[in-house]
Order: sequence, then structure tokens, then C-alpha cells
Amino acid sequence: MKKENARLKAVNGIFEICLGINGVKKSFSVKNTEFLLDALRRHGYKSVKKGCDTGDCGSCTVIFNGKPALACLIPAFTAHGSEITTIEGLGTVQNPHPLQEAFVEAGAVQCGFCIPGMILSSKHLLDANPEPSEEEIRKYLDGNLCRCTGYVKQIQAVRMAAKRIKNGEKRFRGKAS
Amino acid sequence: MPELILKPGTLKELWLLPPAPGGSRKYLAGGTDLVSGSNAGMDASQVWVDISDIKELKGIRETKNSLIIGSGVKISELSGSGLISRWLPALRSAIPHFASPSLRNMATIGGNAATASPCADGVCALCAERADVWLELGGKKRKIALQNFFSGPKKTVLRRDELITAFEVPKWKHAGVYLKLGPRAYFGIAKASVAVALELDGEKVRSASITLASVSPVPLMAVKTANYLKGRVLNYDNARTAAALVKTEVSPITDARSEAAYRREMSGVLLERALNSVILTGRMSQVAG
Repeated sequence: MKKENARLKAVNGIFEICLGINGVKKSFSVKNTEFLLDALRRHGYKSVKKGCDTGDCGSCTVIFNGKPALACLIPAFTAHGSEITTIEGLGTVQNPHPLQEAFVEAGAVQCGFCIPGMILSSKHLLDANPEPSEEEIRKYLDGNLCRCTGYVKQIQAVRMAAKRIKNGEKRFRGKAS
Repeated sequence: MPELILKPGTLKELWLLPPAPGGSRKYLAGGTDLVSGSNAGMDASQVWVDISDIKELKGIRETKNSLIIGSGVKISELSGSGLISRWLPALRSAIPHFASPSLRNMATIGGNAATASPCADGVCALCAERADVWLELGGKKRKIALQNFFSGPKKTVLRRDELITAFEVPKWKHAGVYLKLGPRAYFGIAKASVAVALELDGEKVRSASITLASVSPVPLMAVKTANYLKGRVLNYDNARTAAALVKTEVSPITDARSEAAYRREMSGVLLERALNSVILTGRMSQVAG
């Protein structure tokens, strides 16, 4: 893939790119003016939310090559060869990730718009730092804005999830929807 | 947005690329400024060169007397670096103020300089750390002091197609701190900020570098204030006099983010707080050790 990377030329303004999304290889045709956020949504990854489109709100956060990044600022063609995790790759309704469980149980979700980005940022935090302090959580979720709940319940949810991951607890494993 | 994306893997490959037809090429690194600018119609380049794979631009290494920070180093990589923690206290203390964690995973320190925003946190701190910047064009290298790299708001001395390859920062024993006043504690654009690097000899200041952002067209080296502190004892009284002096050095404007008079006043307040924090940290380390 590296060699192919050397030159990407738009044909009639369209680039052909290959990327891995939630562990599955995908090929997209993307316009030279298109952003990863729009390309993902066009291909059905609707959890990646379009909030501000200027890199301010964090609703479009995805894990891009291992780190949280903002899909609204990534030209789609530069995602050629990259690995992306969206919240669809984290857990399902039947088998949610501990962070997803904790966000529901803590009542951290109101309208839900900011939650995919917030959970992906939190996941990266907990992967790097399994026992973050409240201050560390607050700083880490700095770039994920929420207009409903007031930044209290989400912090509690991340702490709850951290504790459960540490203790190997899982509430809803295999539970039918 | 471009029609052609070139993605060289080395500097040698980069300089073998043909010149862009009818205009200069644009270098794409983290993309946080170029992409949002292009999105807003501020860039019409047809050819973008994606430099994120160029290996010479990556990594932080140490020589006998300096640190070399590749221009492609992401801001989040700076915060994880033991070399930065050890040698560059002002830069280290600027990192939490730099945008948000996800933007820090994308933005590069080279891009922070290339954008040449008067409010840039990273390069303000690097100026106080006395950094030089390495530039390269067609394999020809030159090195200039970072403070001389900026020629105006969003303007630099970069020649057409010239690339920032690295920052070279001297290793010198000093205390340093970065303070920023924004609309909120984090993830804001500064109304004013100050980076201070002080070489101390006991309680005396052997040498000082003071850089302010958002209060002049380019990162401002407060030379008069730094000279005032040189040779003086670092105490609260001298910090207050330095704060009064720095207010005469800044040249702020009124814009969407703040007013000139407030920015001038806050430049003094921030410098006094920064110097006081160095005094307090010094006392605490004396108690500790």
C-alpha cells in the first residue's frame, strides 16, 4: 500500500481510496473536496456526527490510526491506507462496551449527539490510563462539547467504566435486546 | 481543495517532485489549519504535497548541545517526550493549552510555525526556549532564529516551496513556564499569553527570555523586560517592575477576541504571575531538596 500512496491523482475530481473501518477493509470513491466525516456518513457510519464542521465541537471524533482525531478536518483522500474505529466498532446493543453501559447507567446521555465522540475519546483515555483522576478525565474530554447535560454525568460514567474494566465486570454480556 | 496529492516518503523524493503548475504547492501535515482554511475558501492550490510520511521530519533527538524536534512531530508526541520534559519546561507547560486532545493528535509543531498565527501557543513557547528553525528547499538548508521566522500575521520568511524540516533548541539549564489567558481554562484561543525561560544563579537571574503571543503581529520577544531582569534577584518586587515594563513593549490590537487595552494590562498580569510561579517553584524545590 505504501507504494500506491506515493501518488494519488483525482480522476474527474474523484480519488479511489482503501481504508480499514472497524477492522473491515473498505474501498471508497471520494471527491477531492470531501472530508472523512462526510465520506463515512455517506457510507452508513452515521454515528460520526456533523456538528460544527470546523474542528471545535468534537462530535465527529473517530480513532484514526490509534488516536482520537476529528473527521471533519481530515480530507477523505488522506485517509487512504488508514485504520479507523467508529463507535459501531466498539460494541453492540446486545454486547456493549463497558463505557457504553456506564454512559447509559450514569444518565450521561440526553440528546446523544456528542456521545459517540465522547465515548471514543474516553476509550482512548482508558486504554492509555486505566485509572484517570477526575481532573484527567475533564482535561481529556476538553474537545468534546455537550450542550445538554453539563459535564457531570459523563465524568461519572468514565469513572464507573474505568472501575468496571479494572474489575473485569460486565453487566450486559450476551443479553438479548 | 486540490486536484493532485503527492505523498513523498523522503526529503529526496520530495525535492524530485515537479514544480506545481501555475503556483506554489501546499504542504499538508496535520491539516488542522490548511484544511479548515481551504474549506473556508482561503486556499486555491491545485497541488498538495502530503508530507506526513516523510521520515526525516519525524522524531525528537538529542545532540550534545541541543534537541532536534522534527517539524512533523505532533503536539501530543511532545507531551509524551522525556527529552521535552527534561529540557524545555516552557514548551512542556504550553502543551495542555494547545487546542484540544484530539487536535493535539493531528496538529504538528511545524504547522504551528508555518501558519504563523500571532496567538500560536507552541511557537511562542519555542521562541522563549531560544529555538532555531531549519528550512530546506531543493536540498539546500538554512537555519534561522525562530523569532526571525515570522514577518507578520500569517506571514513568514519561507520562500516558495520551502519546507520547515526541524526546530533546534539549545539545552540549557533553566526554569520555564507558559501562561495563557483565554475565554476559558482550556481549548480556547488566547487573548494574551506569555512564555518565560529563566536561567537562574541562586536567586539571581543570569539570563531571561520572555515571549508573548496575541499581543503583537508576531510572537513578541520582550527584550527590554528580559534585560531588566538580567543580573537582578528574582523576587516579587522585581517581578512587579518587569510586569510594568512589559506593558510598554507589547502592541496589541482590538479584535473579536479581546480589546487592546485589556490585552496590554493582562500582558503584565500574566508575566507577573509567571515570574511569581518560578519564585514559588524555586522555594518549594529548596524545601524539598
